Amino acid sequence: MDEAVITQESPIIRVSGFIKRYKRQVVVNGVDLTIRKGEIYGLIGPDGAGKSSLMKAIAGVLSYEGGMVEVFGTLIDSERAAERVKQRLGFLPQGLGLNLYPDLSVEENIDFFARLRLVPEQELTERKARLLGITRLEKFRDRPMRNLSGGMKQKLGLICTLIHEPELAILDEPTTGVDPVSRRDFWAILTEWQQAKGMTVLVSTAYMDEAVRFHRLSFLSRGRVLASGSPEEIQSLSPGLVITFESTPQLDAVGRLKTRYAQVETLGPSLHVFTPETDPSTALGEIRNTLSGLPVERVQIDEPELEDVVVSLLLQEQQNRIDGQAGSADPRSNASAPQSNGIAVEARELVRDFGAFRAVDRVSFVVKQGEIFGLLGANGAGKTTVIKMLTGILPPTGGDGWVAGEDMRRAAGAIKERIGYMSQAFSLYLDLTVIENIRLFAGIYGLDQRQTRWRMEWIIGMAGLTGYEADRTGRLPMGVRQRLALGCALVHEPRVLFLDEPTSGVDPIGRRRFWEMLARLAREDGVAILVTTHYMSEAEHCDRLGLMHAGRLVADGSPADLKRRLEQDMGPLLEIATDQPGRALAKLSASGMAQATLSETKIHVLSLDPGRDEARIRTVLTGCGIRVEAVRTRQPSLEDVFVSRVRALEEEAQNGAPA
Amino acid sequence: MNLRRIKAVALKEWKETTRDRLFLLLAFLLPALWMLVFGYGLVLDVEDIPFAVLDQDHTAMSREYSYRFIQSRYFSYRGHVDDPRALDRLLTKTTIRAALIIPERFEEQLAAGEPVSVQTLLDGTFPLHADIAKGYVIAINQAFTQDLLVDYVSRTRGLAREQGRRIVQPLTVEVRYLYNEEVRSTWSMVPALVMFTLMVASPLLTALSVVREKETGSIYNIYSSTLSRGEFLAGKILPYAAISLVNVWVLWLMAVLVFHVPFKGSLLFFFVGSMLFVFCSAGIGLLVSLLVSTQMAALIITMVVAMLPTILFSGLLVPVSSLGRGAQLQAHFFPAMYYTNIVRGSFLKGVDARVLWLDMAALAVFAIGMGLIAYRLFTKRPNA
Repeated sequence: MDEAVITQESPIIRVSGFIKRYKRQVVVNGVDLTIRKGEIYGLIGPDGAGKSSLMKAIAGVLSYEGGMVEVFGTLIDSERAAERVKQRLGFLPQGLGLNLYPDLSVEENIDFFARLRLVPEQELTERKARLLGITRLEKFRDRPMRNLSGGMKQKLGLICTLIHEPELAILDEPTTGVDPVSRRDFWAILTEWQQAKGMTVLVSTAYMDEAVRFHRLSFLSRGRVLASGSPEEIQSLSPGLVITFESTPQLDAVGRLKTRYAQVETLGPSLHVFTPETDPSTALGEIRNTLSGLPVERVQIDEPELEDVVVSLLLQEQQNRIDGQAGSADPRSNASAPQSNGIAVEARELVRDFGAFRAVDRVSFVVKQGEIFGLLGANGAGKTTVIKMLTGILPPTGGDGWVAGEDMRRAAGAIKERIGYMSQAFSLYLDLTVIENIRLFAGIYGLDQRQTRWRMEWIIGMAGLTGYEADRTGRLPMGVRQRLALGCALVHEPRVLFLDEPTSGVDPIGRRRFWEMLARLAREDGVAILVTTHYMSEAEHCDRLGLMHAGRLVADGSPADLKRRLEQDMGPLLEIATDQPGRALAKLSASGMAQATLSETKIHVLSLDPGRDEARIRTVLTGCGIRVEAVRTRQPSLEDVFVSRVRALEEEAQNGAPA
Repeated sequence: MNLRRIKAVALKEWKETTRDRLFLLLAFLLPALWMLVFGYGLVLDVEDIPFAVLDQDHTAMSREYSYRFIQSRYFSYRGHVDDPRALDRLLTKTTIRAALIIPERFEEQLAAGEPVSVQTLLDGTFPLHADIAKGYVIAINQAFTQDLLVDYVSRTRGLAREQGRRIVQPLTVEVRYLYNEEVRSTWSMVPALVMFTLMVASPLLTALSVVREKETGSIYNIYSSTLSRGEFLAGKILPYAAISLVNVWVLWLMAVLVFHVPFKGSLLFFFVGSMLFVFCSAGIGLLVSLLVSTQMAALIITMVVAMLPTILFSGLLVPVSSLGRGAQLQAHFFPAMYYTNIVRGSFLKGVDARVLWLDMAALAVFAIGMGLIAYRLFTKRPNA
């Protein structure tokens, strides 16, 4: 982007001292924001941070209690004022495809939106053709919207928002719950359109890793802006390094590191530490000192990612608040993990049909005792259905499964007693207090008074609920609630734990603490954990992963395995930094590199012959006047793994016969 | 008001309604079903009361007396019994709801000029029915007694029966029922049911269609577009008003063909009145939908708001004129009463705007008022 040009224009959106209240609850409390013409501006934050309220107010569809909102130089303070700017903006509300009409076909949906905006019929025909083309929805023109996949719904939502060519697009969490392939597609389409039309975009996301796609962004937490600026500026707010290494015994290492560092994560066998120290050797020295004698192996030192920075900002903010800090109690030193290699869960060729639709297609995997197994996939990939079959809630159409030594077809009752299950939908009673909820679950599982008292103490300690005991569950922050739900699922000491998207909507700190608890349960208590998620960044925490797509298990292995296998099959990953990523991608695809993808602002290409391909890429791009800033090889991320596996599968499906 | 935008909204509503099976059933099947169920179920005539006879006299006279009942269309004869206990059994099982006990020496005592009392047992579970049945019993008994008297007078005075009757019954009442010549409750009920069905089905449809958009969030498409409030309301109400107008004719046909209610009035007058009423009832749905945010709430509130006042104050079951003063006043605040006058008037009395112009005007005021309130209530920039 050309900074000089941008700054001379007057801002498209000006927000200052914005306050939004629902009844007595203040959800946005004094937010300032300036968005300039031609920017892609991001709002990042956990659920309940106030993103949606702010965006709705800017779109003129929600009144507010304080401050001012100005769009295109018009003060949005009444319905009449809001009407004046509405023709110039497009708004995509939150919820995947929820604002579309399920009984209408793709084309009818688009037509409806266009006619609401009085787009002339001839222009409509042209634009429709163009947008359907770039989103590859042309083939599905006549399909009812209800029969589209998540990714397709999302693209249709985008078309409907852009059909009247708004100068300002306001998109509320357009990528939540969509698979990585569709997400990458979405950003590519949006970026291309935005550059072609000089459109301004305000977009929110719950995925920290999408932040790099924004020119500037604000991180919102509890109705306030925690940090604002370009991704680089935000990164520089909390300088430091991220050091990843292995150390055994892992729990001891974590205990010692925690006495010094605020951010310590376990990712499978590795530890992930954020240090404010910027010199690599000093930083590593400090870590060795803190570990006092424990081994430090396979060290990797990186620049901190945006998420590390945001977490450290959040931690700083938290220190200013009173917070029951019981959860970080140091782990037990006598960490004698019950070493059992017994198989906790086994799925063999599981199939489930809903009418003509096959939701789960021949899925097989094994989870050992003490292992964290992650099922990764987009909404609708079949993760929840697999869990429901294994827990005996849903009978399978075909295949077998064993859980905690019992056949899931025959012994659903016995299985339910031996497992803990935390569902996507919240299982807690929001009008009961923390203690009452635990007591209720203890009662359901038939614990006597003595056991209940003992488990209560254990849960409160483990989940860091000290200080919250008498609070109404509905009033707890999301992260705390989630920990309580986990505690309740563990009340009867199950050996196998099923978690269905346990961290959706929880802020990054809450997520990290939750994963810490899971790691402890697996390592210390030897609990087998089967967890589903659509956050790629969380998948790194798992010991083993199963990638699901369209009902099938596409790949299965440890995160490191999966990455290694990808490199073996498709070669190392080339990461290309350019000044015009959107155009560069289009040019590369046109020149025969179909598998090039946009990851954040960089282009990723898997190449079996990196030397030759790099030269080719440079020639193609420089030939079109695109500046190539850097090309380097790097380890693929899990997202790269997922995207290329799914792509391969889609090609296979198109070619008819499996390769 | 931009016609193209109204058309876009209305067309979208129409497509969604016709493609969603549940909505389609709600739109077209439910009203017809309602008409059938209530048309047959809400008959208030008391006819064919099942009864049995215990004849302890076994004479020509006792047989003749009981035949008077057996031949009546108000009673349905279920047989003779010999034992009073058998009557008890039949009554408790509700096989019969009335019983006639003719005492011994019935003929003999009558012939001797002594007074005789015939015992009648009536099921009093439904006081209204029992009262009406009692009326029938008394009437039949009276007629029988009178015939005996005529017989006696003509025999003793040696006159012809006709002359005898004139002496016994010098004064007779001649009643002619107007409009509903056969006094069938179906005739008065079915036209009112047209009103009732429209009153409940059309607001339900309108309310659900708006609240559904609130629930999914697609209402934000409306909020964030340049569609004006009036255009939105018009686009929402038109397809449902159209559906209801189709239903008006379906219900009209059912009334005429299935229930054989005569239509004596002007079709044009009936149609205009129905159209106004449909806008009123759809408007009620629209108002409800603007105040609530879930389909469940919309369903319950519409039912309560549309159904209760309609049953109580519309003249469906009880004529408004026989309500208490307060209730009569309340009846004027709901459009149902005016439309009931129009439907009943059109079907049975054959009157038109010359008589019912006030009711017509009232409906127009309601329709316009409802639209204005909806326009005021609806905001494209809510605070939650």
